[in-house]
This record gives sequence, C-alpha cells and structure tokens, in this order.
Amino acid sequence: MSTMPNDTLSVERQAPTPRSFSRSYWEATREKKLLIQYCRKTQQFQFFPRPTSIFTGRHSDLEWREVSGKGAVFSYTIARRGPEPFRGHEPYLMAVVTLDEGVNVMGDFVHCALEDIKVGMRVKPFWAPLPNGTNLLMFEPDR
Amino acid sequence: MALRDTAIIGYAETKIVEKSEHDVWALGAQILETLLDKTGFEKGEIDGLILSSSMTGAGNCFWSQTTADYLGLEVDFSQTVDVGGSSPNGALARAAAAIDAGLATTVFLLFADTQSRENNSRLRSFANEWTQPQGLLGPPAAFGFLSKRYEHQFGLNYESLGKLAVAQRDNAVLNDNACEKLRKQITVADYMSSRMIADPVRLLDCVMVCDGASGLLVTSKSRAKAKGIDRWVSPIGYGERTNFKSSENVVDVTVSGHSVAGERAFKQAGLAAKDVGSFHPYDDFIIAIMLQLEMLGFCKHGQGSSFIQEHGFTWSGDLPLNTGGGQISAGQAGLAGGGTNLVEAVRQLFGEGGKRQVKNISNAVVTGIGGIPYARNWGTSTVMILTPDA
Repeated sequence: MSTMPNDTLSVERQAPTPRSFSRSYWEATREKKLLIQYCRKTQQFQFFPRPTSIFTGRHSDLEWREVSGKGAVFSYTIARRGPEPFRGHEPYLMAVVTLDEGVNVMGDFVHCALEDIKVGMRVKPFWAPLPNGTNLLMFEPDR
Repeated sequence: MALRDTAIIGYAETKIVEKSEHDVWALGAQILETLLDKTGFEKGEIDGLILSSSMTGAGNCFWSQTTADYLGLEVDFSQTVDVGGSSPNGALARAAAAIDAGLATTVFLLFADTQSRENNSRLRSFANEWTQPQGLLGPPAAFGFLSKRYEHQFGLNYESLGKLAVAQRDNAVLNDNACEKLRKQITVADYMSSRMIADPVRLLDCVMVCDGASGLLVTSKSRAKAKGIDRWVSPIGYGERTNFKSSENVVDVTVSGHSVAGERAFKQAGLAAKDVGSFHPYDDFIIAIMLQLEMLGFCKHGQGSSFIQEHGFTWSGDLPLNTGGGQISAGQAGLAGGGTNLVEAVRQLFGEGGKRQVKNISNAVVTGIGGIPYARNWGTSTVMILTPDA
C-alpha cells in the first residue's frame, strides 16, 4: 500500500520579493524557465542566486544560463509539521535535488508516494503557479 | 599566548524555563550579581562586555551598548557575537583576544535569551525566497535532510541516537537548573516511538525552545592572582570555522567545519580525542552530537553509531557527555543556549558538578554550532578546549 503525500498546491503561498540580484531568476519562471547563475571564469554553476561568484568573489564573472532542471535526489524529508500556511497540509515531501549542472536545490516534491522516493532517484521540474504570475520550482519523478 | 593567559574565574546560570516571567535584562542582572558574589570583583572592575546572539536582542542593533546601560556597566570593549549557537564559545575566544590585546582587563560574558517570551528576530536570509515558499520547517527539515543523507551514505542505527538521548536525560534529572518538563527519564523505546517531525527526525531528537541565561567572568591570570584568586579554568585550544566549503555547491553534509576547527583546537591544546575528560557538544539535534564525535576524531567518519553502542555517555560513563543534560534535555535558551554546555564544562572543571561530577577533570571540550544555511549542515562550527588551574 502506498501513501500519497499532500502536493501542497492548494496552499496559499505568497510570491517572494526578489532581491536586486535574483530578479532574473523569478522573471524567467513566468515562462517556466529555470535560469541559474554561471561563473564564466571557473565554469561552474551556483545556486541560490548570489550578488557575486562564490568561486572568484567577482560579480563580473557571472552570467545567467537556462538549464533543464533535471537531476537526482540528494536527500529528502517528510514534513509532518509544516509552518504556516502549510499547517494542516501535512504530510508533504521535500527534497534536496542535485541538478545535472552540479548544484543542490531544495524544493517540494510532488506526484510520488512516500514509500517510493529514494536518494539517487531521477527527477524533473514541476512548476507551481504563484499569485503574481511567477512560478515556484518543485520536483517530480522523471519516470 | 592569548588563550592560555586567560582565566575564567566565575560562572553563573539561571534555571531554564519554558517561558520566563522575567525580562531578558533581569536575567542578565541575576547573572551579573552571581558572578560578583562568586569572584569578589566589584562592578566597576568590569571593563569589557561580550554578549551572545539573542532572539530577544535581535530587535536592537545596539544590543551590547543598551545592555551595558541597563546593567550600569561602563566598559572599554563592548560587542555582540552573532554566530548563533556558536556565540558563547566565540565570546570566550574574543574575550581572551581582547584581554591579550590590552583592550580590556576583565570581561563579563553574558549569554541571555528569552526567545520564548519575546522573539524580536526578523531574519534577513535566503529563507524568504528559497525555503519559506516551499514550506520548509527550518532546522528540523534541515536535519531531516542531513539524517537521510547520512543514512544513505553509511547506514544509521537510530537506536544509537536513542542511546544518546537517554544519556542526556539521565544527566538532566540530576541538574536542578534544567527545564522541569524535561527532567524525566526516557528509554530508547520512548525515543524510537516518539512522533516524526521531519523524517527521520523525531520529537526526541529536537531541542525545545526555552528561556534562560548564563555567563562567565573572565580576566587575565595575572589579574586573577593579584586579586588573590587561586582557582580558575583556562581555554587552551580554540577553533572556529564559518561557512565551511563556501565555494562548493554540493557539499557532503556529513562533514562539518568541526573537522578543521577541532584539528586546530586539539593541536593548540596538545591533546587528542582520546585524552578528553568530558565532552560538551552543541546539541540542537541528537545526530549533531554523533557527527561531532566523528568530526573531532573520537571515531572514524561514518562509524558514529557503532562508537555510541560501545561507550557510556552519562556523567559516570567512560565519555561523559553534556553532563547537565545538554540543550536537548535541559532546554535551549534561544541563541544563548550554547552557554548551557559551556558553563556546565566550567562547573565540572571547578569540581562543582555535585551529584553529576565527572572523575576526569584534566580538561573538557565544548563545541558550538550556529546557523542553518541552504542545503548544508550548519553555518559556524567551534571547538573550545578548557583546563582547570592551568
């Protein structure tokens, strides 16, 4: 018997206020595109968006690149007691996902039974709409 | 050397309670008076003030200055240490540095927080964009991720974590200052069946937020001697690391900054893990204790749970650990909670542990953990090694 967790899509989330250096990320989510920062100098991606390259300390080394959002589960947890406004929507699944570009991203994990999630499982993005037209990055199994 | 020339001449702590009836400054005043009584120092001889982080104080960006005002202290050195649970250890290291640099001669370290009564924090961090919209329940979820990853890499016997939880409870029962609600013995079965919060983190893995204060009075050895004091505790090794592996995106969350902080502290002290008299690791979640046992070299990386099965951790065990119950069984006094384990170590080294006095008081090791970053384990790792009458 498998237990489907809550997908939390009915939770009334507020869209976050972007910082000056994360605006490009949130704008791209309007079209369900995943943009992450890339350091040209060291040829590495970084997440979450920062005001500078975490490798060189130079903002000028950064650019935005679109990625697929595919990756594998690095770790996961089952939220049995969520903060507001998630209270009452438990249990729900959350995962840390290692994108194929080599960054760890935390997000809600949907369309997967509690018993089925495994470290190493292949995943793809699932976009959940936010009230201001942007979208929240979630993950689902890439079956 | 700065550390070894430093003398902790007094310690103090309030009882830890679920919600304080007293203002945070009233708790601070209580700590100050106890330290003056214990050391024979006059208020006017204190010329330095260092505070830990405080959720109550977080609403005031002049925190150490305003606290000095409320306590009537006129000082030459004043600061708040903002590395969360690592801040009491950090405060002691900074006091030693300030005294060594001639900035102050006698420093009052105050670790006071009434997070339960009055939480003024509004954290400006990654959370508002990257974890709040997702519904991440802060530290328990972070430790849920960490535990599940540890289990994936090494396997994890949860009964070992239960054994640590039981040992800390046994210790708390003997600590009159521990939060009363937590002074009840538990069994490994109780631990295993306690409800899940963020799988595999259970209720009995977690600290309970409480209110309380602790503190130390610190001066130079020469000043202590001049005052006719002949007993003190000295720091002999210290390591601190913030933002461990900051330039990596996918970090092994089973490795922490304690690996480098511990190596540095042990090297300074001329000691190794096998020499430790009592161990007072920062405990916000039980698994953090196990990770620190590994990081400090008590056992190999990944072998924490078998090490735990082979050793005893109550005050009378072969590795006495958080002999006052730690934060998990004495209560977490907000961001001042690191002071609970630090003060307990000092108490033990003064030989004043009472019913829970450890035998080996040649040294004690106290650690700190501060802050939960994004998809890592923790923000600041500290390791402090203390010895009596050095």
